[in-house]
Amino acid sequence: MASSAPFQFAGDSDSDEDNFNPAPADLSDDENNATTKRAAVMTDRRESNPAVDNDIIDEEEDEERPSKSASKPTPDDEEEDENGDEEAEDGEDGKNGDDEEDEEEEDEEEEEDDEDEDVHRHRRKRRKDHRAAFFDIEAEVEDEDEAEDEEKEGEEIEDFIDNAHPDDIAESGRLDDDRRHRELDRRRELEASMDAEKQAEILRARYGKRAPARGYGEMAVVPKRLLLPSVDDPGIWAVRCKEGKERDVVFSIMRRIEERAGSKDEVPITAAFERGGPNSVMKGYIYVEARRQNDIMIALDGVLDVYPRTKMILVELKDMPDLLRVTKTPNLEPGAWVRLKKPAKHAGDLAQVLDVTENGLEARVRFIPRLDYGVRDEMAAAAGKRKRPGMPGPRPPQRLFSEVEARKRNPRQLQGNPQTNTWTYAGDDFENGFQVKDIKIQQLDVKNVNPTLEEVTKFASGSEDGTENLDLKALAASLKDGSTNVTYVPGDVIEVYQGEQRGVVGKAVNVQGDIVTLRVTEGELAGQTIEVPNKGLRKRFKAGDHVKVIGGSRFRDEVGMVVKIVDDRITLLTDQTNTEITVFSKDLREASDIGGQGSLGQYSLLDLVQLDPTTVGCIVKVDRESMVVLDQNGDTRQVMPSQIANKLPKRKLAVAADRNGSEIRLDDVVREYGGQQRQGKIIHIHRSFIFLHSHATTENAGVYVTRAGNVTTIAAKGGRSTNPNAGPDLSTMNPALKRNPAANSNGMQPPKTFGRDRALGQTISVRKGGYKGLMGIVKDTTDTHARVELHGKNKIVTVPKADLIFKDKVSGKTIDIYSRSGRGGFGAPGGGGYGDRNGSRTPMAGNGGERTPAWGAPKSVARTPAWGRGETSGSRTPAWGDGSRTVNPYDGSRTAYGDGNRTAYGGATSYAGGSRTPAWSSSAKTPAHDGFGHGSKTPAYGAGSSGSSNDPWGSKTPAYGASAPTPGASGPSDSWGYTPGPGPSGGGSSSSHHPYDAPTPGGAGFGAPTPGALNAPTPGGAYSAPTPAALSAPTPGAWQGGWGSAADSAPTPAAVGAPTPGASGIGGGIGGGGGGGGASGYYGAPTPAAYGGVPETPAAGGEMRNADDD
Amino acid sequence: MSENYVAPAQQRYLRACMVCSIVMTYARFRDEGCPNCEEFLHLQGSPDQIDSCTSQVFEGLITLADPSRSWVAKWQRLDGYVRGVYATKVSGQLPDDVRTSIEEEYRTTYIPRDGSATEAD
Repeated sequence: MASSAPFQFAGDSDSDEDNFNPAPADLSDDENNATTKRAAVMTDRRESNPAVDNDIIDEEEDEERPSKSASKPTPDDEEEDENGDEEAEDGEDGKNGDDEEDEEEEDEEEEEDDEDEDVHRHRRKRRKDHRAAFFDIEAEVEDEDEAEDEEKEGEEIEDFIDNAHPDDIAESGRLDDDRRHRELDRRRELEASMDAEKQAEILRARYGKRAPARGYGEMAVVPKRLLLPSVDDPGIWAVRCKEGKERDVVFSIMRRIEERAGSKDEVPITAAFERGGPNSVMKGYIYVEARRQNDIMIALDGVLDVYPRTKMILVELKDMPDLLRVTKTPNLEPGAWVRLKKPAKHAGDLAQVLDVTENGLEARVRFIPRLDYGVRDEMAAAAGKRKRPGMPGPRPPQRLFSEVEARKRNPRQLQGNPQTNTWTYAGDDFENGFQVKDIKIQQLDVKNVNPTLEEVTKFASGSEDGTENLDLKALAASLKDGSTNVTYVPGDVIEVYQGEQRGVVGKAVNVQGDIVTLRVTEGELAGQTIEVPNKGLRKRFKAGDHVKVIGGSRFRDEVGMVVKIVDDRITLLTDQTNTEITVFSKDLREASDIGGQGSLGQYSLLDLVQLDPTTVGCIVKVDRESMVVLDQNGDTRQVMPSQIANKLPKRKLAVAADRNGSEIRLDDVVREYGGQQRQGKIIHIHRSFIFLHSHATTENAGVYVTRAGNVTTIAAKGGRSTNPNAGPDLSTMNPALKRNPAANSNGMQPPKTFGRDRALGQTISVRKGGYKGLMGIVKDTTDTHARVELHGKNKIVTVPKADLIFKDKVSGKTIDIYSRSGRGGFGAPGGGGYGDRNGSRTPMAGNGGERTPAWGAPKSVARTPAWGRGETSGSRTPAWGDGSRTVNPYDGSRTAYGDGNRTAYGGATSYAGGSRTPAWSSSAKTPAHDGFGHGSKTPAYGAGSSGSSNDPWGSKTPAYGASAPTPGASGPSDSWGYTPGPGPSGGGSSSSHHPYDAPTPGGAGFGAPTPGALNAPTPGGAYSAPTPAALSAPTPGAWQGGWGSAADSAPTPAAVGAPTPGASGIGGGIGGGGGGGGASGYYGAPTPAAYGGVPETPAAGGEMRNADDD
Repeated sequence: MSENYVAPAQQRYLRACMVCSIVMTYARFRDEGCPNCEEFLHLQGSPDQIDSCTSQVFEGLITLADPSRSWVAKWQRLDGYVRGVYATKVSGQLPDDVRTSIEEEYRTTYIPRDGSATEAD
């Protein structure tokens, strides 16, 4: 059955055609091929056109009956007669030809039925009942569509049955006798009311057009809206399938349908279709039409690449027509622009349609060839590589065909006519330099071509006379469907040129997708806001508008004035070159900026660019494809962007010095010295060259270049001091200072300390910010911040260290934990001094106080510069003598000392106690210190010292210890000793002084801190025995080591080295000086002391000493 | 057995009749003609006619199992045609003379299958 079916249909259609051009032969065909299937089809057809059929039948009978009905009253007879008549008529019809189509059709219908009956009478008998039922249903369905009246329907069925089984009826004793009679009566009436010819004519008028078109035409007449799906139609389900395999799936289903047709497991679907395609939104699905979803499962089970078991989507009734929507591919017109898809070498290239074949399936296009005239093939051949067709490799650039080139390379493949400039080269045709080729439209991109004017111009300029014959109209047509790339932004003035709103002008207020909301500005709609699809819109300009080309053409970024408007083509006069250019209005925008584009790629006017490794230049002019650069030598040159190595970013921090040495920076206004005295603002500083911009001249856009040393500052940006005498601010140029920005010129911050932050555990109060005034303990620190546990609140806050005031835990006094002097406290004098202010370098650079240059604290003056160093302490220094003063110098930490001499010592004690300790400890970096701080050593010292000096010492001891510990300390200790010396002098408050006194000599020794000095002192006092040795020994080494280790004071070492000796010398002197010389002794001492102080390091040695002392 | 099946390798030779949109291979058109339109297209054995009246450019394949009962067929105006594979859209235009002859000699309305008809509805 499956195989025969198509054939039958063919036969069927043949018979249809017979209507128009009946051939008797067809009849026999029909008879031979008549099957039940066909009968069904016929029935359907009839049903679908019941009016026709019925009328036909009526007519037939009408025509026939007058003669026959009377004589043959029974239906059976009538049928038979009819058949006979029809056949006879058919013969006639064949002769009559087309004129009697209606009748023919009727005849045929009848004939077919009859034939069926005749041939298959017996087979049909058996099946009749089932089928009748089946057709009945069908008829109902069809009726809905056709809206035929019931009577006819009934008639038809009746007719069918009658026709189909005339014999049955006869045999069965006239089953339908009554009906037949009724029908007959009706027909007679009809017949009576109308004469046959007339009726035929009416029928022809009504159906003449339709009937012959049965193959397809009859359906063309039924408007689509009447074909809309109803609930009685099968449903359509979308079934997932493998993308790209849609067609295969459809064919697979076809195969399955055909294979199973006629078998008992016929595929139960009625249709399946796909709307795939690479760009389709419906890809990945096939759509299957069936009565039930389960039918689809059955039909598709086991078909490759389709997945009926995944979720099927039932397509809603209203969406069904959309599934089959077809949009027409725009017809190609000669002159239109397309893009090539197929010859891979030309993929994406623009082409122009020259001609389109009649059926619209092929177009002759011309495009710019990409020929290398076999160069690459040769190369490939030379390299011995096989050409791989799949890999086109780099494609040659687009160039018009060159006969010369071709002749040179491959003369044998070239044929052509120079007259017409048409050539055939390597199988391709070339005309006027363009390649011409017939290409199937499926290999062309017809939509969204968006040719740029640039591309198009290549085609235009190809004409012989060289004039531009650019057909903007064709271009516009090509661009029309590319309206998607037109972008409107709010503010654009827009005109509607298509559709109902045509002519409306308004300003865009909102753009959303394809919908532009306009506020109408003109006409009767003015003031209203309307929404328009952007399809029919174009921007509107007036002559005189200042516009900028924003895209889509090679004139991009040109700015100019509109001089002419023709439709959507606008001619403008460019600002820059004063030439007229014509562009589409969609490519224009109202321009707010004036003048040239000012930028080319990443380069814009006044940028500094690197031309070659040694040359930089400032862009002074930007053209469309090149720019003019003023290089550092003052020459201008025209360069292409490709010639520029790179763009130098503006260095905001660049600094140069003018001829007075004042610093100059960007944006400063300077004047040339000498020469033209030009004045300008600095726009770039490059090495010693500065590029200036002046409004006074337009040459080179007002830019000129000069050397930095050749200008004087007129006005510095931001009001920087321009006092020529001020000299450059070295502090900002000193990298060492930069590293530590907190430092300022008048005093270094405490040198960076290492190890544990001294601030840890300190009691502080906050002096700034939200926590101002609160006290707390430092729990943790970073370089800049401290986490402080507040006393008042149970809270840990983070406070900048700079905002902390360190307090003595006990006394609550403000202390400076970072001061070197802290430890110096010990070494106090000396060390402290150093540590503190001068910072290490002080000594040197220092104030250069001549006195103790080295020490020479700037201000402190000669005195004990060292001591005094920074502060008043200097004066005190002498105080040292007093001892009490000493305290002061020390500052907070010293303070302890401050307590009276003794007291001071006592204070010292306190030190020992630990108040200092911190200080100590801090200074103590060196383990030694800690030792001090802790007093562990101290005790030792204490012991030693106490022995001699007792309390004070004892108290000191720690101090001593401190000092001692460090070898330097030892020195310091000496110094201390000295101090005491002074102490005695001061008030001699303490007996201990004596011991001190003793040391005093040591003081000499003091000076001694320096090795030599030390030695000296050592011998000196109470220290005497232990000290000396200890001292001497440690000192030297200690010092050095101490300093060295004291990372803080990198410079220090040097200082140390230097001063020391001097100091020592002094010390010596002092030593000689005795008590009075104490001061001087200090002097000397300080140094050492200082060192000593610092040197906690030596501590170890000190400890040892202590031990010894013990 | 199933003559309407076209193996993927053969699908490049497929063409669609511009009148009825049936999709078959060139060889079948040549050997058998168009099953629906042969009467007036006379494709059988006539490569020229096949070239002008069938198109290689078509999309949206439909397999019609039962043209009489399928809504798809009705909508596509394929009811009454033979079972087979059809296209929803066939690009290309029937030559004018063929078109004229269809419409005049056969009193048939030619429905373009390239999508231009839908817009009218």
